[in-house]
Amino acid sequence: MTATRWFTDRLPISGDQLRELTNEPVPNHLKRWWFALGGTPAYLFVIQIFTGILLAFYYRASAVTAYDSVAFITNEAAFGWYIRSVHKWAATLMIAAVILHQMRVFFTGAYRKPREINWVVGMFILMCVLMLGFTGYALVFEQLSYWGATVGANIADQVPVIGGFIKRMMLGGDDYNSLTLPRFFVVHAAILPTTLVLLLVVHIAIIRMQGVTDFKFKDETEEKSGTFHFFPEHFYTELIIGLTLMLILSALATISPAALGNPANPLQTPEVIKPEWFFYVVFRWLKLFSVTVAVLSTGFIVFAMIAWPFIDEQIRKRTRFKDASVWIGIGAVIVIVAMTVWEAVVKH
Amino acid sequence: MAEDTTSQHSRRDFLSRAAMATGLAGGYGAFGMIAGRYLYPARSAETAWLYVSDINRLSDGESLLYEAPDGEKITVTRSTTTAGRVEFVAMSSTCPHLGCQVQWEPQNSRYFCPCHNGVFNPEGVATEGPPADAKQSLKRYPAQVEDGLLFLEVRTERLVAGNQGKIIEAPTCGNGPGHDPCLSPIAARGKERPA
Repeated sequence: MTATRWFTDRLPISGDQLRELTNEPVPNHLKRWWFALGGTPAYLFVIQIFTGILLAFYYRASAVTAYDSVAFITNEAAFGWYIRSVHKWAATLMIAAVILHQMRVFFTGAYRKPREINWVVGMFILMCVLMLGFTGYALVFEQLSYWGATVGANIADQVPVIGGFIKRMMLGGDDYNSLTLPRFFVVHAAILPTTLVLLLVVHIAIIRMQGVTDFKFKDETEEKSGTFHFFPEHFYTELIIGLTLMLILSALATISPAALGNPANPLQTPEVIKPEWFFYVVFRWLKLFSVTVAVLSTGFIVFAMIAWPFIDEQIRKRTRFKDASVWIGIGAVIVIVAMTVWEAVVKH
Repeated sequence: MAEDTTSQHSRRDFLSRAAMATGLAGGYGAFGMIAGRYLYPARSAETAWLYVSDINRLSDGESLLYEAPDGEKITVTRSTTTAGRVEFVAMSSTCPHLGCQVQWEPQNSRYFCPCHNGVFNPEGVATEGPPADAKQSLKRYPAQVEDGLLFLEVRTERLVAGNQGKIIEAPTCGNGPGHDPCLSPIAARGKERPA
């Protein structure tokens, strides 16, 4: 009692206020697993921060030391291979979970009024996560890291007007040089995670302001609908999901640990060069069209995705195709999956 | 009867919560242990004979400072025994008291630690100061000469950057009895200070 008094004298917050803060009522439909796809990438992001900090203890961001330090982590540090593999697999799952979360929001129409702004924030989160994937891949400084970063910078160079500026900012010069890798490291380990945390704060704040989208399911009786408490019910569930995710990541890390290719060689481009799977679709797109057409069309598609709630609203207002977004979405998913698989199965 | 059911319920509830808490603590604890083990620096037990220098680099009574691959600083001193045999003594230059760097003083035939006035004889045994009170000695490394080349047996633990061991150029300031070998320049700077 005295201890409680000691704290409340200094931190004027009551137990009731704390309960109100943590006991956000959660709609029952969130017990369905596909509605946990927003919490899953958030949890994976926590794992990424944790494993990323551990990796940064030994990683040395310079062209001379980077590859050796990754080799040290992989081959010599105790459980280094495991930490690195979990970091790699969590990144893969995080990107997949963000994409699935975005698809769930898209196909349930949860981006519509009043949630348009949160969809835009979500799109920036997706881009942030993709950039984290790109910069993280470059840090290993193996052959594909080097050439992937080089190709990525030259793609950025094709953007009209500001392309040259973006490339120079990316590489810290006209070409890949000794300043490039420290730049990627700072972007990967400081700028993008900070940006992502800020975006997540905004994303979650908006969700709490507006409340989670309420869905009614056909099999849902009055008794089944309603809400349950965030704490402790949902919090326990999150802890269990988190542990399950760690076990899945551990299994993946053990079965398929992060490999280490040949060290970067600026004088020799590998015969087969491919980015990570989440950029396969862009890579295939680049092979289908000229660089300028591919870059401009990709920019247009990304813009359309960001502005989709407003485009959809106009389509619904002005045409009789009320479910156009569903069909457009299905078409887009088929194209993306097809191009990803196409890029995955062919050598060049 | 109703009370029994309630008590059974609360017991079951308690046990399931305890099992859940134990499982979660065990699971997350295991990952915490892995992280701790990863962060704790490995200490290699492997040693190897590494080349240090041509023996002619040192004349009798002179020493050089060598940094082993694991970062350990070693003072190598050349001396001649009464039987006229050339000998090299390799001694850790880290004071066992609180880790300061000891200096070899040829004019006094001793190692001196400037931090707390610790003194060690040429065999590395503490003779004065806190290390002597604690009966501490400097760690000695095996040294051998082959074809005029000096080798030391040191730990091969590799730093991330791939440090292979190197001679550190010692500061060339005063080596009078005791204290920091750079005492003279420091004293000179002190004179410049306003009173």
